Amino acid sequence: MKIISSYSIKGGVGKTALSVNLAYALREAGRRTLLLDLDPQGAASFYFRLESAKKFKMRDANSMAEGLRKNIRESDFPGLDVIPSNLEYRRLDILLDGMTKRRKQLRSILEEFKPDYDVILMDCPPNITLLSENVFRASDVILVPVIPTVLSRRTLEQLTGFFTDEELPGDMLRPFFSMAQKRSKMHREIMADLPTAHPGFLKTVIPFSADVEKMGLHRMPLPAYSPTCAAAVAYRALCAEILSQPSLRP
Amino acid sequence: MQNMTSERLILPVGVGAEFLLDEWSCEIRQQESRLLTFWDTFEWGVWFSGHLLYSCEGVYHLCTREEGWPGIELCEEKSVGRRRFWNEFATPEMRAKLEGMLGLRGLAPVVEGTFRRRQDDLRNGVGKIVCRLEWLIVSLGKQQEELLHSCRVIPLLGYEAEADRLEAYLFQAGAKISGEGPLELLLRQSDRIPREYTLRPPFGLKSETPAREAVGRVVRSMLEIATGTVPGILSDLDTEFLHDYRICLRKIRSVLTLVKEVYPAEETLRMRQILGDLARQTNRLRDLDVYLLARDEYLELLPPGLRPALDEMFDDFSAERGIEVRRVISKLRAHSWSRLMGEIEECFSPKNPHPPSPASALPVGPLVFRCIYKRYRKIRVIATEIGVESSDDAVHQLRIQCKKLRYLMEFFAELIPREEVTALQKLLRRLQSRLGEFNDASVQQQTLLNYWEEKKSGSDVALGLGGLVSILYHRQQQVRSLILQAVKEFCDDATAASFKKVFKQPLSVLTTTPPRSSQS
Repeated sequence: MKIISSYSIKGGVGKTALSVNLAYALREAGRRTLLLDLDPQGAASFYFRLESAKKFKMRDANSMAEGLRKNIRESDFPGLDVIPSNLEYRRLDILLDGMTKRRKQLRSILEEFKPDYDVILMDCPPNITLLSENVFRASDVILVPVIPTVLSRRTLEQLTGFFTDEELPGDMLRPFFSMAQKRSKMHREIMADLPTAHPGFLKTVIPFSADVEKMGLHRMPLPAYSPTCAAAVAYRALCAEILSQPSLRP
Repeated sequence: MQNMTSERLILPVGVGAEFLLDEWSCEIRQQESRLLTFWDTFEWGVWFSGHLLYSCEGVYHLCTREEGWPGIELCEEKSVGRRRFWNEFATPEMRAKLEGMLGLRGLAPVVEGTFRRRQDDLRNGVGKIVCRLEWLIVSLGKQQEELLHSCRVIPLLGYEAEADRLEAYLFQAGAKISGEGPLELLLRQSDRIPREYTLRPPFGLKSETPAREAVGRVVRSMLEIATGTVPGILSDLDTEFLHDYRICLRKIRSVLTLVKEVYPAEETLRMRQILGDLARQTNRLRDLDVYLLARDEYLELLPPGLRPALDEMFDDFSAERGIEVRRVISKLRAHSWSRLMGEIEECFSPKNPHPPSPASALPVGPLVFRCIYKRYRKIRVIATEIGVESSDDAVHQLRIQCKKLRYLMEFFAELIPREEVTALQKLLRRLQSRLGEFNDASVQQQTLLNYWEEKKSGSDVALGLGGLVSILYHRQQQVRSLILQAVKEFCDDATAASFKKVFKQPLSVLTTTPPRSSQS
């Protein structure tokens, strides 16, 4: 089982679109996939027409694993299950802080799901907290959507700096360009320049697309209602790129 | 991630997806209709191994049988023509699975049914799928009339409560938990009930049952099985119908000989003659079946270079078999055959007022035990003369006596304390198996030599036949030493003591004046 996270310090870069569409592409590729919506906003859950997760006790790793398991919902797409978000997740930092091995609890919780899934994909909220640190230590790979803009470049550099400071393995960060517009000169320049500074950059580029925004109307993954649009094709290509790399392959 | 399963509900007429639309949002999909032909052998080998084999649109499917429902599909195979034997299938998986279920038996269609399936999605208020509904309507053959209308509610993980609510709604509308599956219903409608098939049925005997009644029951059971094999012989579905027909006739003849004086002597003689005549009509066909079934085994005995030489012989056997089948079929369809079978039936009918005979009213238990013990002692005497130099004929005589003993122990197995004879039967089986191997090798050599005598074919064939005869001769000599060992075990003092303990009866049991038989 591989644990993949969709993470960025910055909001609005396409993390949830990545989580939902990559999860769909992974199950299309035959991987039993569990999407864990850790963002209290619950956008990923909304796209799958799921209600919030029911409240559960979060005393320790065991009770958290049990609570998460009880909240697993089968999506409309066989092979893809979701643990929907819950506003209580905003308190996860405090709860984790009170536990022993507080930076590694999430990994041991997710180990519980190993027999049932090939991939666990986490949609993370945009911040750096104790939960984020748990995500970093639990993940095998962290996918970082980067809009080819100056601000996004800055947040990527903040993230890599944090990894260096915390002595986390930087090679698990796999940025890729998201919401890219080839007509924009700035986008083109940053896309030419940034990967040279970050060798882990994935090659697939997710183009900006109005079809992605319509996910909220359709309330389903993009490839499910518009399988041939450029963005849907790009998400599949991103999935294929991940599966083609031995270190990333679930 | 779990596979949620649920009960299949049998629905009353009119309760379909449309019925749910008042309460739920249900996405009704296209219905798929398929005509399935289910296949099995005369012995229901597929059914009793817990499987189903069906064909549909040129594809054979083998699946598990789950209480009369097709379960998990194990393998499938496309087929242009009809498949009869396991080795006519091409895929290794299908062959491996069917070999054990079919043995030498041929497949025949047992029933046809139209299966109309549809899978709908049931959605909640926000349009999320909460359950999948599997509808199934089954009709006999190509008919439209519904034999079974069922629905399975499969909740998506996390939505079990919705499924419970839906099931409760269906129960209120008259749904029931499935009892019989579609297969059971189809088979019952077409009067095809799977029954265990055996050549060793229980006869319901007790030790004190009068001998004539006991032997009569054995004969009538065997006769019924023999008659049941005839349609299979006529259709030439497989070789085992004829094989079993012959075994039944032989067993009837044997029981009349082995338990003497149960019926009047002249009637016994007449019946034995009729049974012998009926069996002889099929001798050549059975011989040819045996050779042709052993074709691969024969060929494997020879080096690859010599194998094509034997093709000519097998082609001759195969052609002759075609002629023999037609001849046997015409015999079985002839009036004389029906008349002879009728005479046997009449003779052994419980209503037939035969006069009493010396053993007719004796209790069958002591009588048969005495026969068994006598037969065993006879075998012991013959066995003392068996050695490395014994003639094939002497070994053959020992084989015949052992077969008679086994028949006696088989016919009257219900009367024999099983725990005391298990070890004895094991020794007998081992000895018989060795004697059988010896005899087969001897008969096969003779057959090959006879074929050569008759055909005088080319040198290639001679080479192949010669090779085979010498291998068979060598095999026969190897079996000899094994026979001696098996004889030693079967006839040693400990085994003799066991036979004596179980089967020896005081003479007085048989010398008391019997009461008049109720049948006589």
